[in-house]
Amino acid sequence: MRLLASLLALLVAGPALARVKVVATLPDLAALAAAVGGDAVEVTALVAPTQDPHYVDPRPSYVLALSQADLLVVNGLELEAAWLGPLRLQARNPRVLAEPGYVDASTAVHRLGATATVDRSQGDIHPGGNPHFTHDPRAGAAIAALIAQRLAAVDPPHAAEYAQRAEALRGRLDTLAKATRARFAALSADQRRVVAYHESLAYLLDWLDLTRVATVEPKPGIPPDPAQTSRVLQAMKSTGVRVIVQEVYYPARIPDTLARLVGGSVVRLPGGAAFADGETYEAHVAAIAEALYAALAR
Amino acid sequence: MRWFWTLLVAAHPAWAQPALTPEEQAALAAAFAEPAAPPAAPAAPSANPDIALILDVAAAWFDGEPAQLGGHDPQETGFTFQQLELTLQHAVDPYLALQANIVFHPEGVEVEEAFATTLALPGGLQARAGRFLNRVGRQNTQHPHAWAFVDQPLVLGALLGGEGSAGVGVEASWLAPLPWYLVLYASVTGAEAGHDHEAAAEAEAEGFEALPTARLEQFFPFNDDWSLSLGASAQLPPAHDGDRGQLYAADAYLRWRPVASTSRLALSWQTEALVRRLPEEGPTHEDRGLYTQLVLDFAERWQVGGRTEWLDEAEGDARRRHSAQVSFFPSHFSRLRLQLGLDERTDDVVPSAFLALETLIGAHGAHGF
Repeated sequence: MRLLASLLALLVAGPALARVKVVATLPDLAALAAAVGGDAVEVTALVAPTQDPHYVDPRPSYVLALSQADLLVVNGLELEAAWLGPLRLQARNPRVLAEPGYVDASTAVHRLGATATVDRSQGDIHPGGNPHFTHDPRAGAAIAALIAQRLAAVDPPHAAEYAQRAEALRGRLDTLAKATRARFAALSADQRRVVAYHESLAYLLDWLDLTRVATVEPKPGIPPDPAQTSRVLQAMKSTGVRVIVQEVYYPARIPDTLARLVGGSVVRLPGGAAFADGETYEAHVAAIAEALYAALAR
Repeated sequence: MRWFWTLLVAAHPAWAQPALTPEEQAALAAAFAEPAAPPAAPAAPSANPDIALILDVAAAWFDGEPAQLGGHDPQETGFTFQQLELTLQHAVDPYLALQANIVFHPEGVEVEEAFATTLALPGGLQARAGRFLNRVGRQNTQHPHAWAFVDQPLVLGALLGGEGSAGVGVEASWLAPLPWYLVLYASVTGAEAGHDHEAAAEAEAEGFEALPTARLEQFFPFNDDWSLSLGASAQLPPAHDGDRGQLYAADAYLRWRPVASTSRLALSWQTEALVRRLPEEGPTHEDRGLYTQLVLDFAERWQVGGRTEWLDEAEGDARRRHSAQVSFFPSHFSRLRLQLGLDERTDDVVPSAFLALETLIGAHGAHGF
């Protein structure tokens, strides 16, 4: 009886306390939504920053989160193709199936790496473009603006508030992007070169004007074999590049070995902001730039 | 002859000129490369369905008389064309989505599943109509390429049929508004000979026979790494003389997938137990069985698994089977699987070995949990 009473109380009180429920696939997108939404929204991230967003278990509990969501923010460009589709279908929630509730962040950013010809003999590539854009604060600012627009559409009373927060965030991210780029520009041309593990740094390198001399994976999604590893080692030795950059969810052994052999270092980037621990998107982006700078300037 | 010139040109020293600066080499390479699409070109959102083609073939060896029960299992020593599965799926309109799985095999073409699912019913409700795999147990609704072993568990073959339990009908389901995931399913499909039970063959002679199925499914995420899915299903298969039997299934799926792992480390333990009672002339027939399997993804591209099974049919003696598999995934879209088996029957003990290849092309939708 008490359970019933409290359930009833919840039902009555529910709409009064109702905040816009936002579900974001990646922690970066969740952090952006939280920054734009403020107190008016309640944000859930499905993927942890330590998790490879290509390979996520489609947990039924995600269906539950999606069934209650007013807004679903996804990265897009097929990054979540291996797990998100059936969850959206099973959610029984038309709001997350189409605009404005379904927010595809990739539609807001300037895409890199779109290819004219595609087949999977080239590896696990994403035909619409490289999907790893959240490392770049300029993309973050554009996504924040899109989220503000969509939040305004599902929650008009707070529209002005969303637009104002997104605009302020854009200003801060622009400043951060420019200041950081200027700082990296002061490094010598030789220092502004890296080896990437996966084809996931295109936007980061574009932002900081860095050059990639080699990629440890021979093709996207294909782990390095001995021949590829020795090619990368030769490239590192001949170019003098000693910094390897990878996300924390990629295997560490080969990059560690390569770095040891050339007396260099591996920079491990979290997959996104530690949203569950309250880290903001700005703090996260600043931190990855700082870690990268420290390794390059050494 | 052309290959000779191709080789000669490819080996021409001009391509490896050390005198060229990296900038010059890059400029030349760019001049020879195919023109790239403008980077800002948006990926055209497609109204075409997601289409995928999945091929499963296997080589098998049995030391003795094989007695495999699954419709796609290797049945004898030699090569087996397990299936060529074509899957298509897409939203129909804002209200419905359509999914079809069409299976080609040497005996012909079979529409394994083709159903429409509602997208916008209120109150946590969802309905399906068409031909679909009934929600009895866990593995019955999965297609063979999602299985962890080359062959179907014995208990599913014996109690649900070599192709599993499927039929044309309707299903309603309800996602309960609870703090955890709980879904109730109820469906009615037409019983099909060869797909459900031997009893259905008799029933088919008498025209349409309904096969009601119900399922309760729950999911408990203990933390980011550990989770448990539990299911209970019941089915009322048509039996002799308009009578009905009962079939019950219980399933558990425990999964450990450390989200901080860098090698896609994962462990899953799956168990299903089924029992079926069919009224016959004389005493009621009772068939039962279970299997339990443990699968470990231990490296980025490697998996091992073990499975043990027990089947006790009213007609015949108890049977046990043990299997072990090791799988290599060259990429997310291909798999090579070696499986060893030991089939213990009262009259015979039959060791077996399978080597199975799976390849996938196209945009295959994701799998369920």
